[in-house]
Amino acid sequence: MKGFVIDLKEWLSETARIFRHEMSLVFSDVGVILFFFFLPTAYPIVYSLIYNTEVTRDMPVAVVDNSRTALSREFARHADATEAIKICGYAADMQEAKQWMAEKKCFGILEIPADYTRKLGRAEQPQVQFYSEMSLLLRYRTFSSSIADLQIATGAQLRQMTLDDLGMPSTGETTTIGSVGFALGDTQQGFASFIIPGIVVLILQQSMILGIVLLGGTRAEQRRRLRGSLPPESDAMSPSAQIFGRAFCYTILYIPLAIYILHYVLHFFHYPHEGEVIDYILFILPMLLATAMLGQTLNIMATERESAFIIVVFTSVAFLFLSGLTWPRYAMGNFLSLLGDIVPATWGVEGFVRINSDGAPLGLEPRPWYWLWGLTLVYTATAYLVARWQTRRS
Amino acid sequence: MSTGFLTVVRRELRRLTSRPIYFVGIVLVPVVMAFFFVGMLDPGLPLKVPAGVVDLDHSQMSRRLTRSLDAMELIDVVETPMGYHDAMNAVQSGRIMGFFMIPEGFEKDAVSGRGPQLTYYFNLSIYVPGSLMFKGFKTMGVTAAGGLVQTEMLEKGAPEALAGVVLQPLTVNSHPLHNPWLNYSYYLSPSFLYGVLELMIFLMTAFAITQEIKNATSPQWLAAARGRTATALLGKLLPQTVIFTILGWGINSLLFHWNHFPMNGQEWWMVIGMLLFVAASQSFAVAVCAILPNPRLALSVCSLVGILAFSLAAFSFPVEAMYGAIAIFSYILPVRWYFLIYADIALDGWAVYYARMYFVALLVFPIVATLLAPLMKRSLRKPVYVP
Repeated sequence: MKGFVIDLKEWLSETARIFRHEMSLVFSDVGVILFFFFLPTAYPIVYSLIYNTEVTRDMPVAVVDNSRTALSREFARHADATEAIKICGYAADMQEAKQWMAEKKCFGILEIPADYTRKLGRAEQPQVQFYSEMSLLLRYRTFSSSIADLQIATGAQLRQMTLDDLGMPSTGETTTIGSVGFALGDTQQGFASFIIPGIVVLILQQSMILGIVLLGGTRAEQRRRLRGSLPPESDAMSPSAQIFGRAFCYTILYIPLAIYILHYVLHFFHYPHEGEVIDYILFILPMLLATAMLGQTLNIMATERESAFIIVVFTSVAFLFLSGLTWPRYAMGNFLSLLGDIVPATWGVEGFVRINSDGAPLGLEPRPWYWLWGLTLVYTATAYLVARWQTRRS
Repeated sequence: MSTGFLTVVRRELRRLTSRPIYFVGIVLVPVVMAFFFVGMLDPGLPLKVPAGVVDLDHSQMSRRLTRSLDAMELIDVVETPMGYHDAMNAVQSGRIMGFFMIPEGFEKDAVSGRGPQLTYYFNLSIYVPGSLMFKGFKTMGVTAAGGLVQTEMLEKGAPEALAGVVLQPLTVNSHPLHNPWLNYSYYLSPSFLYGVLELMIFLMTAFAITQEIKNATSPQWLAAARGRTATALLGKLLPQTVIFTILGWGINSLLFHWNHFPMNGQEWWMVIGMLLFVAASQSFAVAVCAILPNPRLALSVCSLVGILAFSLAAFSFPVEAMYGAIAIFSYILPVRWYFLIYADIALDGWAVYYARMYFVALLVFPIVATLLAPLMKRSLRKPVYVP
């Protein structure tokens, strides 16, 4: 068996030659440079620029004021003062307001009933209606939290008024039970602060796989052109030397990129960035190794340079979902959660977000880390089989 | 004209069936992804967010509060940590998404009117369950307070009806139109499926065109079309237009008929829109190939745009909140217009009149591609492959 280590010294020198050869291949291929260096450098910045405004506020809302009293106008003014709502105009009736909504002039309608002031005066509960257009969930989320604030604030003011009118002793603030909430992880409750720390880990994995499959496709084309006799740096070496030489090459190239992405990008854009540098560098190392081996396994499908685009690019979307960033993993079925388990970025995202956003030390929950080492082992075995098969065939 | 056109179509059908990669890219990927997303997002909302309750009071009232929390559909109390530190550890290790804290002496303070403070912590580093948890905790905080004040007012002799009004002098009812369940899948599934379709159309169009240049078969292709670039392109792309459109209709029926996604308007417009969307996406890739007649560059640009489309087309983060210089890029994406058609016609059920500009936008893409296509002619005549 040629693949096994017969002579350690010879194996090491083979590995070193593969490593050097692969390095020179990486730097002489513009396509690979694009994937390995341009993509991980530019994408995090592009994503940050897309989401950097973090929140949406002052969305246009139409008012249908059927009461037309001082109190109802005051209520509309209070609504306008909230974060989400900006009153864009008074519509004559619901029909007109709906028309505005269809024309995208407003995203919400606030309908104040005709008996608003009368009911307040009689100490009955007036019912104000708020209709939200639902083409984006984020708009509704922002609206609904402002509506809750509006209801509490106006309610407190009216309560005081009523109690004063009734001449009852003010129960005031002291008797109620207060409640206060704190956001963890993404403390600014922004969209970018939530999505970027996860996405950057996925970028690391996907850009590396793209580059590896591109290199693999080039080798496959070369093999076909030269009828199987590749230069000695490729196929003459033992398969294990090939995969380790290449994996070390990719991993070493990616360590500075990982530091740039996981530290500097998050730092520059003021995203949540809590954990210890040593923790997440140690954490990301097995992910890079597992990815390098996964990429070499996927090379089995790379029959030409352009295959990389068709078999790898779309997986980014699937992997984003499997990682549980947009849809939590606890809510997935068994099959999908198993599928997620075998993707390095799933554990990469989970572990990195814990360290980076939640400030957990690596030792607190090492499960993702163990998984990544396990995947490294598994994909090393599969990459070895692929390399052996390809070497034998040629 | 027509004979040249048919020759190209026949030639293309042979090419499409000659290699498995065409089947993978055109049929397999979109179909697998369609079932993947719809299967994943089936429940609509990830309810029962794992939560913790830190009960430092251990009173009857605090236990009642814990039980009410657990009974909420949004929240699943899976842990009862001993204190803040334990709870924080559980959050950091991912066992719970947040926790609710009941302070020591809660019952005593509440009964004697000293205004105890409930606190809750929710982890937003995973946004959707974090938001749901926040909603559940906030509701509980307010209702717990309300319930107690009401009891107290009744004890002071206020009439029951009045007590309710004083507690909450007015109500604002929120109506999430057409999606009262706040089903998250209504946004994620269509946007991602249309996005994947667009991505694969971009890639396979660019792949099919640039393969001719790479393998130096483009002179032969052009000859089959009697030297006319327009005929060559139309003949080449028509089989893909047909397959992708049928797949697109399949995706729509998977959404609207099998999974009962809302269809509040006239479905015909979605059907016609799909055809325009496929043609617009192909046109986009043709335009890219006309400007960059090189396999690697054309495919790189198509992948780059196709992937960024998922963020840029603003399915989850609104365009009006983006920086202006970034937001304009969302207008060059066919998928954005088709998603807007979905939101207008299917979700909101507006008349097609209000969505007319989206259809016009989709029609602009073929026009631009027609204008740019002649640029391709020279590289088709004398193909040069730059790896």
